Amino acid sequence: MTHTDSGVAHQAIAPRLPILDLHDVRKRFGGTVALNGVTLSVAPGEVHGLIGENGAGKSTLIKVLCGIVKPDSGAISLAGEAYEPHTPREAKARGLQVVHQEFNLLPFLSVAENIFIEHLPRNLFGVVRRNDMNARARAALDAIGLKDIDVRWPVERLGIAHRQLVEVARALMTDSRVLILDEPTATLTSRETDRLFAIINDLRSRGVSVIFVSHHLDEIFRICDRVTVLRNGETVFSRRIGETSHDELVRGMVGQQLQREMASGAISSAGEGTALSLVNFRHAQSPHAEGISLDLHKGEILGIAGLVGSGRTELLRAIFAAEQPLSGTLLRDGKPATFRSPREAIQAGIGFVTEDRKEEGLILAMPIAANVTLASLSSISRVGLLDRKMENTMTQQFGADLKLKYGGPSRHAATLSGGNQQKVVLAKWLARNPQILLLDEPTRGVDVGAKAEIYALIRRLAEKGLALLVVSSELPELMTLCDRIMVMSQHRIVGEVARADFSEEKILTYAYHGERRQTGH
Amino acid sequence: MMQALDKTTLNAPTEATVSGMSMKLLLRDAGIGIALLLLIVFFSLSTEHFLTSNNISNILTQITINLILAIGMTFVILIGGIDLSVGSMLAFCAVVAGTVLTIPELSVFQAVGLATLAAIGTGVVCGFLNGWISAFWGLPSFIVTLGMLNIARGAALQVTDARTIYSFPPSFNAFGSQMVVGVPVVFLIALVLVAVAWFVLSKTVFGRLLYGIGNNEEAVRLAGHSLMFYKVAAFTIAGALVGIAAMIYMARLNIASPIIGIGFELNAIAAVIIGGTSLNGGRGTVVGTLLGACIIGVLANGLILFGLSDFMRQMITGVVIILAVIIDKYRERITAS
Repeated sequence: MTHTDSGVAHQAIAPRLPILDLHDVRKRFGGTVALNGVTLSVAPGEVHGLIGENGAGKSTLIKVLCGIVKPDSGAISLAGEAYEPHTPREAKARGLQVVHQEFNLLPFLSVAENIFIEHLPRNLFGVVRRNDMNARARAALDAIGLKDIDVRWPVERLGIAHRQLVEVARALMTDSRVLILDEPTATLTSRETDRLFAIINDLRSRGVSVIFVSHHLDEIFRICDRVTVLRNGETVFSRRIGETSHDELVRGMVGQQLQREMASGAISSAGEGTALSLVNFRHAQSPHAEGISLDLHKGEILGIAGLVGSGRTELLRAIFAAEQPLSGTLLRDGKPATFRSPREAIQAGIGFVTEDRKEEGLILAMPIAANVTLASLSSISRVGLLDRKMENTMTQQFGADLKLKYGGPSRHAATLSGGNQQKVVLAKWLARNPQILLLDEPTRGVDVGAKAEIYALIRRLAEKGLALLVVSSELPELMTLCDRIMVMSQHRIVGEVARADFSEEKILTYAYHGERRQTGH
Repeated sequence: MMQALDKTTLNAPTEATVSGMSMKLLLRDAGIGIALLLLIVFFSLSTEHFLTSNNISNILTQITINLILAIGMTFVILIGGIDLSVGSMLAFCAVVAGTVLTIPELSVFQAVGLATLAAIGTGVVCGFLNGWISAFWGLPSFIVTLGMLNIARGAALQVTDARTIYSFPPSFNAFGSQMVVGVPVVFLIALVLVAVAWFVLSKTVFGRLLYGIGNNEEAVRLAGHSLMFYKVAAFTIAGALVGIAAMIYMARLNIASPIIGIGFELNAIAAVIIGGTSLNGGRGTVVGTLLGACIIGVLANGLILFGLSDFMRQMITGVVIILAVIIDKYRERITAS
């Protein structure tokens, strides 16, 4: 870097020399254009937001930066020097680290081993210095506020949110100049998000640049200095955070498309009877004898809020008999029911949109049509023979109903963007005409446009009389959708808020209070 | 070429997209067929006797047993399992059937009918146990069928006291070498089985769910299907096919020995893998398995005509297996992009 006097003076006005600079970066995969001219510059010590709908090119851009994908054209420089990493290792050596959205942890190794996997501390004989490693891992976790996790635990014991934070801790072990966080908050609750933001602030003060990818605009406004919007693989604009607005960013992401009113509120709760009641309902991991008791009414959208690990997912899984409930009573339409398997729950008119779409919801390497019909094969077959015409008709019908953007029923589900994949999961259950739908994080990793559509769909279903039980870590989502929100903490219900009294404060107070009460014991 | 294809799939509406996809799939699957054709052309040009009708029916006869075992193996591998016990089961089925076949009180017709039932029944029981034990206790089928490999072999030796059973009815043996327009009848039976398996795998709900389980069994379970049933069924089908293969083996070689079929499981797995079925499950076709079995058979025959030793043949078959998996990696990449 060569500075002249005038150059330095100039710097004070213009942004400082960028640490990372991309100019017109392009990449196509076969006939699909993934990046169509991305221009982006990140200053040292800057937290730079990167937003865009699913399919806008964020993931490809990150893959280019960490050396997984080679761009077709364009120029990238890191700290003023040309930057063309061929492997993730090379990217790291140059000081660029990525915390990926997909988890890269080794489930059977301990937390400490995962954190140090790249350079395990060894003694003269090459034996791992376990105590040293564990102590340093302990310090690393303490630094990001994960005090309740034992570093000797295998990673498989951790929940999805804790895994994400361990991943962050691992990235922080190496000194880097640019840290890319790919949707780090998607799996975090607000408490953990706060922790993460404290870490980011600390990095910023040490001059590390952070590229922060998120679907949550409020987070972008909270933490970022500048933000760049991508659409269809192109940079739409970059703005200082103070010079832009929520609306402008959404417009930038969705383009000229109609901006749906996300929070139209005002839901009429039909309440013509109870679709599902739980009385002292317990599952294998629930520590309390009293279990969970709740009533879910027909036509109602009941939200379940709570911190990660409060037992929300486990509750849904136990209702659906994905995990066997331990004790307690489940009443379906007022009649006691026992489900021994998901099959029986489905036969009783229950559907379950799982938290993890790729592991539990979809068969990615199979056609979209096969995914849509997976739970209702008997209605598209006769004496066990598939009727493909009927299957395709059904898929196209749901595709149209749910505004699915897809190449055709025989394309693999993996070809879809996150939002469209989620629509396929929803179609799978709607094809069975359920009376109760359990939704676990229904809009995780879903872009703004698809999110609005999914909200509208959920409301329509409630109007038709379906009973919906929605678990979400996004409070605005629950407050937009639900008639009522129950707050869980440590596997029990610690509070209930009616729509008229919805406020983040109130819900969080319940969630944290329950937590404190438990840990205080 | 691939780029041009992709362009049409991107812009054109549904219809063209579907045909674009199937073109791609065709190219992908045709690869094995092309490899087989090249082998046939090569051996036809380089050896004198390869393309004689005698030699061809010889090859088809030699392929038959492996092909039938490989059909069953395809079902098992598609759900992400493996069956190491088919070779031993073949011996066990054969000695049970052979015992029935040599009961002097029975007419030929009765003896063959009962022996066939006994062979298939034995295979079904062993296959059922393989599937049930691994599904019920959640054990890897590798381990369970490794156990069955020993159990079935031991049982075969125990039942016969390690003796070979022979002198079957002459008409039964004649059947083993029967020809229809130069094609061995036993091979035709195998072809019919391929057709049935193809139908089951691609046209039925059952087949659909086998693929589903191989790809993502949790998604299938949460969609309300019983994993147990499908897993047990896949292994049971494999067992039944071993029973059929055992009968054909006896008809051809005129003996039922407790030491036959050693290593057959590996040849069957090789045929499935060369045929493009993923060892991880969820992807592959029985037509691919047919081609895979043909490649192994043609290679074995051609290399010997070529003057190579049987040892060399074995080495080359090994190389082909590894090559097939490497090629498969690339094909996967093509379809993924």
